[in-house]
Amino acid sequence: MATTRIPIGPQHPALKEPESFLITLNGERITDVAMRLGYNHRGIEKAAENRTYVQDIYLIERVCGICSHSHSSAFIQCVEEIAGLEVPLRAKYLRVLIGELERVHSHLLWLGVAGHEIGFDTLLMYSWRDREVVMDILAMLTGNRVHYAMNTLGGVKRDVTEEQAREILKAVDTLEERTKYYIDVATHETTLIQRLSGPGFISKDDVLKYGVVGPTGRASGVGRDARKDDPYAAYPELDFNVVTDDHCDVYGRTLVRVGELMESYKLIRQVLKKLPAGDIAVKSPRRIPAGEAVSRYEAPRGEDVHYVRANGTDKPERVRVRAPTMANLQAVAKMLEDNNLADVPIVIAAIDPCFSCTDRMVHIDRIDRGPSSESFEWGALRRKGIEWYSANGVDFTELNKRFEVRG
Amino acid sequence: MKLSERLVNWARIKSPWAIHFNTGSCNACDIEIVAAITPRFDLERFGIQVKGAPRHADLLLCSGPVTRQIETRLKRIHDQMAEPKFVAAVGSCACTGGVFRGCYNVKGGIDQAIPVSIYIPGCPVRPEAIIDGVAKMLKTLEESQKGKK
Amino acid sequence: MSKRRTEEELKAELVAAFPELEGKVRVARERRVWVEVELASFRKIFERAVKELGFSILCIITGLDEGENLGFIYHIADQGGTMLNIHTLAPKADPSIRTISDIFPAGHIYERELIDLFGAKVSGLAPGNRYPLPDGWPEGQYPLRKDFNPAVLDAGGEGA
Repeated sequence: MATTRIPIGPQHPALKEPESFLITLNGERITDVAMRLGYNHRGIEKAAENRTYVQDIYLIERVCGICSHSHSSAFIQCVEEIAGLEVPLRAKYLRVLIGELERVHSHLLWLGVAGHEIGFDTLLMYSWRDREVVMDILAMLTGNRVHYAMNTLGGVKRDVTEEQAREILKAVDTLEERTKYYIDVATHETTLIQRLSGPGFISKDDVLKYGVVGPTGRASGVGRDARKDDPYAAYPELDFNVVTDDHCDVYGRTLVRVGELMESYKLIRQVLKKLPAGDIAVKSPRRIPAGEAVSRYEAPRGEDVHYVRANGTDKPERVRVRAPTMANLQAVAKMLEDNNLADVPIVIAAIDPCFSCTDRMVHIDRIDRGPSSESFEWGALRRKGIEWYSANGVDFTELNKRFEVRG
Repeated sequence: MKLSERLVNWARIKSPWAIHFNTGSCNACDIEIVAAITPRFDLERFGIQVKGAPRHADLLLCSGPVTRQIETRLKRIHDQMAEPKFVAAVGSCACTGGVFRGCYNVKGGIDQAIPVSIYIPGCPVRPEAIIDGVAKMLKTLEESQKGKK
Repeated sequence: MSKRRTEEELKAELVAAFPELEGKVRVARERRVWVEVELASFRKIFERAVKELGFSILCIITGLDEGENLGFIYHIADQGGTMLNIHTLAPKADPSIRTISDIFPAGHIYERELIDLFGAKVSGLAPGNRYPLPDGWPEGQYPLRKDFNPAVLDAGGEGA
């Protein structure tokens, strides 16, 4: 059968430049995926060495515009450990509050993106509408929809009032009702189940072999979660389940994420109920004594690892960041093995990658017909996927019309 | 008729096409751009459609600081657009490099590579600010069209 | 369910297996053990930790500019959440290390970072794309070394 190679990258089809993914097809089946990453490389680790620890909180937050609290918390935990600071318990609870709200907004975002990739656009509209409820809460608590700057060295910067706590609980009640609709759809709508079942398969053994983290790994039955394995902040005192599933595919990843939404609502309620009195921060020195620490944080996408080395000055000697997507990208080739071209958008989306998907361009080079080539951009690849599945009996037109999330 | 209504009517006739390009952002602004299209903010009521091909676009929405490896591509995408064309630097990174200014792999804001028509700051930029900025830009587009007659 | 091995027990096991580690193993706190290892002994200690002591998870590899040497910390973890952080040094004059991607396939990406950003030489890596720097990055310029001067990037024309 004819072999075709498809580059997917952040460039215009007319430019023949390095791509992010180079996919080799045999007919319609994927036989190989090669990756070239780095177009988003900014040089953050180096910049962190030239800024103070407090300035670095704002820099490190911006590694990712979705899990910013995860990054800033993982970073500050290292610094606090090196400095020997006793972060007050109230601050730890507040960090969990923001962290779980972040998980909720991230998973709702993902639900919308996944819906969009498969043509279930009504899901995008509803889940992003629900996400706005969380964004409003985060803006109320911290002053910003994203990049909350909640952390400071030694604790958090803002407290939560009784009135705010009531608003949060109301919002969580609303979101929980709506999430139940999503779970209902995810477990009963045959169109959705058919579309998501199968693509992106990765076995439990391969999850362990490639070090896959987060919901992606948990969907293959690997119950790794830093909140349980290496607890931090207030997690040691909180009761929650690690959601796993055994489908090992995109469907499993969907079930894990909606399940985690419900666990997050549970955690948020617990935090507000058990929130201890006390200070929200301890005083911290500007200069951090020489030392090193490593911390692991369960971001919405999976385990985030930070390492910091201090040298006695007010600036770090070294800051090292391993975002969860970096771990999961290594397994994408495995997940796409033997899948169809039509599955590429949803499989990549299902690891919940930390890079923007809106400008990927796809270039198809049909080798068997010589150097003549077709050009696609990501949107066209997505449409191709939707069309292919429609032609094979998996169509979202009817569900799009009928789907409604009340409440 | 209020300005916003005139703009909406004009845009519905003209239907400007926007493309979105991320030059290395943390994605926060990209998500706010998409949020601007969702019902709560609804950029599409201005008649704007977000497409993928530079050749057909009137408006380039750029998020992120200009990283060294993306610079040439950004310039080429801009070259592909036909006049009149407008560039919106969406978010503080696109305006000035933002928090990444001074990073070895970052050259600065979008204007380091291509001319910018409108700067919409924010970290991230709020969806309302994107709409406000785009509305102002549409007004300029309308005036430039009039000027040609 | 077996009792979780304590950090002190882990330290004792390491020193018993490798007497040269006497005085080189530090228990920082619960779940955090740090060990200084000579480059020549690294591989055997690493393999032992992964294959026999239960450290089946590679979290990350950190490169460091340590003056005359490049430092490498391999952060590995066991299922119980204990992290063993193995630190070794190679001289800048010859910063050669061997890949661990035969044990942890996903580890190659961290090793490529060490090559691009620190100028490490990693033997045994499968062919693959560089990461994270673009093509056209000036030879011999390693951004995460302390003596790196960004001005060299503007001198010879743009990167990619």
